[in-house]
Amino acid sequence: MSRLRDLRTDPLVRAVLLLDVSWRRAAAAVLAGAGALGSAVALAAVSAWLIARASKMPPAMELSIAAVAVRTFGITRGLLRYLERLVSHDLALRGMTTLRTELYSRLAAGRTEALVGVRRGDLLTRVGGDVDRVGDAVVRGLLPAAVAAVVGAGSIVLLAAFLPAAAAWLALCLVVASVLAPWLATRAAARLEREQAQARAEIGALTLVLLDGAGELAVSGRAAAVHEALARAEADLARATDRAARPAAAATAAGPLSTGLAVLGALVLGIHATTVGTLTPVELAVVVLTPLAAFEAATLLPGAGVQLLRSRQAATRILELLDAAAGPDRHDRGPGPGDGGRARTAPRPAAAAALGAAPGPVPVPVLEARGLSCGWPGGPALLRGVDLHLEPGRSVVLVGPSGVGKTTLLLTLAGLLPPLAGQVLLDGQPLVDLPAGRRSASIAMTGEDAHVFDTTVLENLRVARGGVDETTARAALEQVGLGAWLARLPAGLGTVLGTDAAQVSGGERRRLLVARALLAPAPLLLLDEPTEHLDRQGATLLDDLVGLRAPLVRDRGLLVVTHRLAGVEAADEVLLLAPDGRISARGEHRAMLSREDSAAYRAAWQHERQEVR
Amino acid sequence: MKPLDPRLLRRARAARHYVLLTATTGVLTAALVVAQALLLAHALAPVVTREADWPDVAGTVGWLAAVVVARTAVTAVQERYAHRAATRTVAELRAQVLTHAAALGPRWLAQGRTATVATLATRGLDDLEPYLVRYLPQLLLAATVTPAALAVVLGLDWIAAVTIALTVPLVPLFMALVGWLTQGYAQRRLATMQRLGDQVLDLLTGLPTLRALGREHGPAARVRALGDAHRRATMGTLRVAFLSGMVLELLTTLAVALVAVGVGFRLVYGHLDLTTALAVIVLAPEVYLPLRQVGAHFHASADGVAAAEQAFTILETPAPARGRLAAPDLRSATVRLEGVCVTAPDRDLLAPAGLDLALAPGTVTALAGPNGVGKSTAAAVLLGLLAPTAGRVRVAGLDLRELDPDSWWAQITWVPQRPVLTPGTVAELVDDGRQVHPHARDRASRLTGLDAVVARLGAGWGTTVGQGGYGLSLGERQRLALTRALLDPAPLVVLDEPTAHLDHEGETVVLRAVEHLRGQGRTVLLVAHRPTLLACADHVVEVRASALEGADAAPDGPPS
Repeated sequence: MSRLRDLRTDPLVRAVLLLDVSWRRAAAAVLAGAGALGSAVALAAVSAWLIARASKMPPAMELSIAAVAVRTFGITRGLLRYLERLVSHDLALRGMTTLRTELYSRLAAGRTEALVGVRRGDLLTRVGGDVDRVGDAVVRGLLPAAVAAVVGAGSIVLLAAFLPAAAAWLALCLVVASVLAPWLATRAAARLEREQAQARAEIGALTLVLLDGAGELAVSGRAAAVHEALARAEADLARATDRAARPAAAATAAGPLSTGLAVLGALVLGIHATTVGTLTPVELAVVVLTPLAAFEAATLLPGAGVQLLRSRQAATRILELLDAAAGPDRHDRGPGPGDGGRARTAPRPAAAAALGAAPGPVPVPVLEARGLSCGWPGGPALLRGVDLHLEPGRSVVLVGPSGVGKTTLLLTLAGLLPPLAGQVLLDGQPLVDLPAGRRSASIAMTGEDAHVFDTTVLENLRVARGGVDETTARAALEQVGLGAWLARLPAGLGTVLGTDAAQVSGGERRRLLVARALLAPAPLLLLDEPTEHLDRQGATLLDDLVGLRAPLVRDRGLLVVTHRLAGVEAADEVLLLAPDGRISARGEHRAMLSREDSAAYRAAWQHERQEVR
Repeated sequence: MKPLDPRLLRRARAARHYVLLTATTGVLTAALVVAQALLLAHALAPVVTREADWPDVAGTVGWLAAVVVARTAVTAVQERYAHRAATRTVAELRAQVLTHAAALGPRWLAQGRTATVATLATRGLDDLEPYLVRYLPQLLLAATVTPAALAVVLGLDWIAAVTIALTVPLVPLFMALVGWLTQGYAQRRLATMQRLGDQVLDLLTGLPTLRALGREHGPAARVRALGDAHRRATMGTLRVAFLSGMVLELLTTLAVALVAVGVGFRLVYGHLDLTTALAVIVLAPEVYLPLRQVGAHFHASADGVAAAEQAFTILETPAPARGRLAAPDLRSATVRLEGVCVTAPDRDLLAPAGLDLALAPGTVTALAGPNGVGKSTAAAVLLGLLAPTAGRVRVAGLDLRELDPDSWWAQITWVPQRPVLTPGTVAELVDDGRQVHPHARDRASRLTGLDAVVARLGAGWGTTVGQGGYGLSLGERQRLALTRALLDPAPLVVLDEPTAHLDHEGETVVLRAVEHLRGQGRTVLLVAHRPTLLACADHVVEVRASALEGADAAPDGPPS
């Protein structure tokens, strides 16, 4: 019973089950494979009989059935093998798509920090190579093992019909080739393969450093140091490969060795049996020559064992990511993990409603923070004792030095991170208890490092709302001051922005992100540093936003996080964060300039004014 | 597709040694295969015809045992060294591709190529392993075992040899035919695979953004659609690729069957003796086995060869020529940008357009102007990372293109907008391989505010920071890069929007840093738009962009 449970928690088994492979297709693949290799064994056996019988010079008619059989097996081998390969690859590719989609869906529904905590190079490895390796477990591991078992059993039964002792010897040699050799190779390689995976991840990460920072590394002369680190990782990889090659060589050599031993054994046993008369000379030829063909399936198995091992490590990495995503953020994962449903690709009703132009009859949402402390889960609290009130028609600006945790606060208010202490309430209910659909229908957030997708300008805007038409998109870009920029683009809204928008300047990128945020259907907007990288016009844009004057922000609730004060005058409330993570002053801008208890705010304001002058 | 690309041997030393080893084991294997077949026939036939008994054939069986042992040993040696050679070959090619991609410059990489080259340098080139470990040895066995076994069969029974000899040429013929059909497919498959990788990765990288907008669920369908497209493309390739395998198996197995039947009937009529017949039917499959294996590993090798070809394409893209002159000493030489224009990629715009600028030693110059006019691009031109479309950079009268980049870069320290984090401890990253006194490091870090960041980190200066900046925000990375710049004695300092991710307190940090650099007599080029920063410069140069048609001279911006 506990064995069974072990099997269920084995990462490879879990990952292979996530491939959701059809049993019918799998059975078809095994049948075709066994038929192909069985044809080869039958071909060897029947030709041996044919030749030995022929040497006794019987009438030619006596051989005709055997001759037809030999030719038939010559044809079925190739045909069935072709079928097997097609069916098994199709099976694995289907499974890999299912697994990738599953991976995406679970990460989409899971905890934010699981995704942010993974290095980009690692992510590439897991979504790419690791998923492929789980697919390979089926094609190169499980199916060949099943085929070898069927063909091996068939060969032993065939030999037992003539000479049980030779069959027993063949069984022993087959066990060496198809159980002992793969087992040894796999066991010995296990530790080394782990080292290799580490080196590979390191190589992937360093590759990205070398490419992302090519210019900087060249100028600073640090490229050589990174190349050295890469060479060290490559050397680690080579060492791990070298150590793994030894058992691999032993396992491969076990192929010709066990085949040779099987033939030698059959020869010795067969000659003895012929001498004492328990085996006819013609049967002797069959007993000796059949083993030559019986090992073809078995020689693939050491490779299959190592494949399963590699696949298991890949599966472990994938499941680590999945398990990290499936944390205590238990609410509304949609049709997510645990329910085994398959309808993950369909947009959920709540989200679908959110995609429409109007928020619908949702009551006017009110977002409140009470005594809120926030920070990364398991880390220290960055901000403490934050009280906040946001509703449509109200704008709040949060000002503070960099690194104080403003982004963390926005993530918490958007419900993407759990509060460390205190509460975030949406319409009086704790945000963490609400379904994600309800949350995103009311609140939209745009982070400082928000992603610009590798697609057109229009599609990048549609990320916020699917139905945005070209006119609306143009208007939104105009409102954030990108009208002239848009006019200069060669294909207008259809211009493809490069990977992570490297071709867009810092300020243009920032404005684009603001335009996208404004198009989001949610009535409450949380914006992180919307005017960073912008020159003096940044203050104008900020003023338009917090004054709720721009058409797309009218009647909405807006929370803006910034470290510059220019343009905040129109806000209903300004909160000044002290470097220790507490609110040191709050109130309306004008009132704060004159009030006794907001000296810090006045000082910051005067500092910026001097600068402009 | 060439089965063995000479460029691979030329570019990878490990591959050359490996081919030699494999050829040797191939010849040995051929001899052993023939010996095994002959010995088996000689041991078996006399017993079947009841002419001999165990004592008569015991010696032959002993020799057969020795051959089995020898074959085992040769197989083990080949396998043992194949993996090592493959790893080293891939490592050699990977290092070359990455070095050359960097030499091709940031603009070449930025055009959507970073992810493509990354996929090629990691997964793509790893596909060479099955090519080297599986395919290549079989190819060489096909060149040794196949002719050797065929020659022996010819000596034994010419009719069987003719049957085999007629089918063997069909094998490479069909392979070439099907291979020719597959080539385009394999290349397209690699392209599809990379596109899929890029797009799925783009979606996953953007997942936090999608979640923040409540839009994370829609793209799951897109991930599935991309996967289905990938499967259909792949299965299309495989149907054709596996066809070659099937044709091979069909031809070879059928030929073996025909040989067996033919030999059988000739035995009946007494044209052959049993020993010869047995030797022939044991050898016949051995003639085809390497060819069959070549076919079996054909598909795996096609990916590797396609990846290698992509790598060679990158390696053969000519990099901009490197100058050879040693750069003049920047402590005394003035750097001038003269009428520098750069065409913005995919846009009908020159940014910057006609930029003139002089950096005299010891002065602080600021580049000003609205977003997108090409301030950072101008800095890249000055750094020699980007060739201007028109105009030039002169250093003490010499064109920058003539100068040896290393001698140029050795005199410059650059803080880009988004500094990359190389692996290492904070202290290692700041010191940058120089001997830095802890006092100097502390002083510089107090100036940039990195001291506060270090104080927050678990192991202080000894904290290891990772790739992509996890653990350090962009602002913190900028502080780190700024500290490094302060400690670097290079005479020219280029600061690209050093306050972009810093608050106003951070801005005073930059002001202090600039003053510090000025005090040391260093030349500073500052890309900035905040008035306070512009005010601290000796010269402010307004950068302008212009539409491509009217790209004539735009004069030097007036100092504001």
